[in-house]
Amino acid sequence: MNDFEELKRELRKLRPVPPSPQLCARIEKALEDCRAGAPPGRRAKWQPQRSPYTWLSSGLGLAAAAAAALLLFVLVKPEQPAGKNPTIASLTPAPAGPSINARFVPAGLTRVVYNTHDEGLFFPAGSDEPMRRVRSQRRETLQWRNPRTGASLSVSYPSDEIFLIPVPGQ
Amino acid sequence: MESVATDEEWRVCFSQLAPGLLLFARQWIRSPGDAEDVVQEAFVRFWRRNYSVDNRALLYATVRSIAIDFLRRDNRRARRESTAVSEMEQFVEPQFAVEDESEQALAVALGRLPNEQREVLVMKIWSELTFAEIASVLGISQNTAASRYRYALVALKKNFVPHPQ
Repeated sequence: MNDFEELKRELRKLRPVPPSPQLCARIEKALEDCRAGAPPGRRAKWQPQRSPYTWLSSGLGLAAAAAAALLLFVLVKPEQPAGKNPTIASLTPAPAGPSINARFVPAGLTRVVYNTHDEGLFFPAGSDEPMRRVRSQRRETLQWRNPRTGASLSVSYPSDEIFLIPVPGQ
Repeated sequence: MESVATDEEWRVCFSQLAPGLLLFARQWIRSPGDAEDVVQEAFVRFWRRNYSVDNRALLYATVRSIAIDFLRRDNRRARRESTAVSEMEQFVEPQFAVEDESEQALAVALGRLPNEQREVLVMKIWSELTFAEIASVLGISQNTAASRYRYALVALKKNFVPHPQ
């Protein structure tokens, strides 16, 4: 950094414009107000909390709804309307065993975090304390398998979750 | 939150840090009045939490957070500020009390730096924050902070041509 010593000296010669006297007075007034015993909105202690607007819940909800619809479409067959010629399938007695919904059983869940980004400090609305906002992006895959037929079903979806981590005071 | 600062400590702290805080805020907020509002809100918020006066990184992070929130709060204002930033190459806000053409040229060169380099340089040169503190403010690694600082100096050295006295 020796190459830059002269430049740094030149930079330090630049003096930032000082704040206006009004700002000093406003800070002074704020200090006096607080000294008067009215520090508004002081909270006892920060607790770790999740961001209220995380996308995970909506992503999971959508994925679950899609998976349920797909399962219903695959597994539930409409009844034969009365009066039509019976087919071989309808004449075949239903096999005894577990219910139709139990044919597909959960076989696995994979969760791959492919990106985590620290977005820096963040002040939640109406809060005085900073929190570090960390965004985690991942892909989750739910798998079901039919042990009798070997058929498998998987649903994969991206999810985006934001964590708010309290920053301890120093 | 280890120590509860007295009012007198805060006055001293503010008098020492205010010019640097205001300069830092003006990296986002071009209007001096709005930047002062940001600094005031950050300072009062910092005081109310009784943070240690030594925790400069958190104070600067507070200013940065409020400044960015300020821009986000009003899209119209944000567009105006963004336009102001994009037009900065033609017009430089008087962030420094320049005394001669050489200082003016240096201030112009500083204004042409990318934001991410300029904010590191401002914290390092005029507030004398350590790279660890700067990294904490920006949520980046110390190496990244040091790199941005060096890139800023390289760019300044390349672009700044001092006027003969």
